[in-house]
Amino acid sequence: MSLSMMYADELTGYYKSRVMLVLWVGMPVLALILHGIQPDLRGQMSLTVFSMLIVTSLAGTIAAAMLSVGIIHEKTLGVYSLFLVRPVKRRSILLGKFFAVFTCVAAAAVITLLVGLLVDWARGVAPGRAAFLELAKSAATGFSAIAITSAAAILIGIVAPSVLVGVILVIYGANQLSVVGYLPLLLGLNPAWLYTLGIGAVLTIVLLAISVIVFNRKQF
Amino acid sequence: MSQVSALATFQNVSKSYGAFRALNEISFELRPGEIFGFIGPNGAGKTTTMKILVGLLSDFTGVVEVDGLSMPDKRDALYTRVGYMPQAIAFQEWRTVRHALTTFGRLSGLTVPFLSHRIPEVLYELGLRDAMDRKVMHLSGGMTQKLGLAQALLHDPRLLVLDEPVAGMDPGSRIQVKSILKGLRDRGVTVIFSSHILSDVQDVADRIGIIAKGEMLKIGTLGELKDHFSVNDDIELVLSHDAGTWRELASIAGILGAEETRPGVIVLHLRPGADVDFASNEALTRLVKTGNRIRSFHPVVPSLDQLYLKYVGEGAAP
Repeated sequence: MSLSMMYADELTGYYKSRVMLVLWVGMPVLALILHGIQPDLRGQMSLTVFSMLIVTSLAGTIAAAMLSVGIIHEKTLGVYSLFLVRPVKRRSILLGKFFAVFTCVAAAAVITLLVGLLVDWARGVAPGRAAFLELAKSAATGFSAIAITSAAAILIGIVAPSVLVGVILVIYGANQLSVVGYLPLLLGLNPAWLYTLGIGAVLTIVLLAISVIVFNRKQF
Repeated sequence: MSQVSALATFQNVSKSYGAFRALNEISFELRPGEIFGFIGPNGAGKTTTMKILVGLLSDFTGVVEVDGLSMPDKRDALYTRVGYMPQAIAFQEWRTVRHALTTFGRLSGLTVPFLSHRIPEVLYELGLRDAMDRKVMHLSGGMTQKLGLAQALLHDPRLLVLDEPVAGMDPGSRIQVKSILKGLRDRGVTVIFSSHILSDVQDVADRIGIIAKGEMLKIGTLGELKDHFSVNDDIELVLSHDAGTWRELASIAGILGAEETRPGVIVLHLRPGADVDFASNEALTRLVKTGNRIRSFHPVVPSLDQLYLKYVGEGAAP
């Protein structure tokens, strides 16, 4: 019961936050602007594909930063003690946060892709069925990377002593770790996107499990 | 220690943080329907004791029981019976007051329909009703403290554990909170609270525990703490006309000595066990007969501040 409640609760907090509004509006706008001001992209790459690039390069980092900074901040302030004196499983606090941020960032990614698709469709350059299938595979790979980065950010949030250390670890640790999800593509495994999803799921679960164990041992 | 009547008991409880021993074999009990004031210098072990009591710390030695159930093993069964307000109260800043209380209320097992009338009720009691839809980040420090108290009261706990509940509150709010605590006591709720404002503890606490360096130095009512140190009563007289005869009062039976603390203000020190009525009457009669005029006359009871310094020592901030 407490996981669904914590998820709904955190979701309320995140989707109303200014960062999310900026992300939901900002990411599609950024894709549009960057695509527009890069003359060599026009004709070479559709906005949909370009939006996918923006999503995969930005969304994971943003999700990770939000999670780790949020946890460090709340940990430092002592927010969790009010939860922990109630019948709430510690893992529910972490998993609720993870799923809430993942949902919000995934929604931002989908919005960005949909805007790209709509603009391309209006311009008559929408990707064909085959290209669309490739895009879907890329999206699966991208979401897998976001999940890995977010799970690593949860762990960083728990162990990092300060926001600064947390952000550095997210940039140089969590972000780099998400590359593991792309290994099947680099190694030429087929179908790469399926391997990537599998690796992403396993790595995310392992990182979350470690986070829960560390969080359970923490005293507040 | 009366195990049967106690709502909570600590028996030989010790807790260390690494090499630092925060609590050293402390034992005490909380009786049903009492307000227990917990005082001591910074780092004395008050917060650690309270965290153990609410199940936030589990790696301690000794026995802790709340409502007949041992902590931390049975803490899941105790969550709804205990209300806790931590020393550093903080909420996620994006929440409104109503949203924060709804979340904590639901986590305490309360239903949304019940909370829809319980939240305004508690906020009204604390004078926070107008802030119900305000974001937590826009609350003042004192209002945040009150919100902390609100979430602890929401589920009507049997035991209320408050770590410095009035810190940062204005005098009016402190009076309000003290009144609420007294009301809770009258309804049978047991309250343990720590504070560095000793006058507040003196105002509301039925019993007081003094802790320092992880050791419980003394527990008792204010009178018992006073008796332990044989602190004598004094009588303060304010003379509007001083005929200079007040020094002769030292010869009255039961009066140890007399001194002028300020011009026109005389303090009579009574002997331990002296007949206060006799000494007072005799002193007043003599003063009037010898031409003095008396503006006021009242006994001076030693304050908790004075007792605290005797127990903990000079220089130890409460």
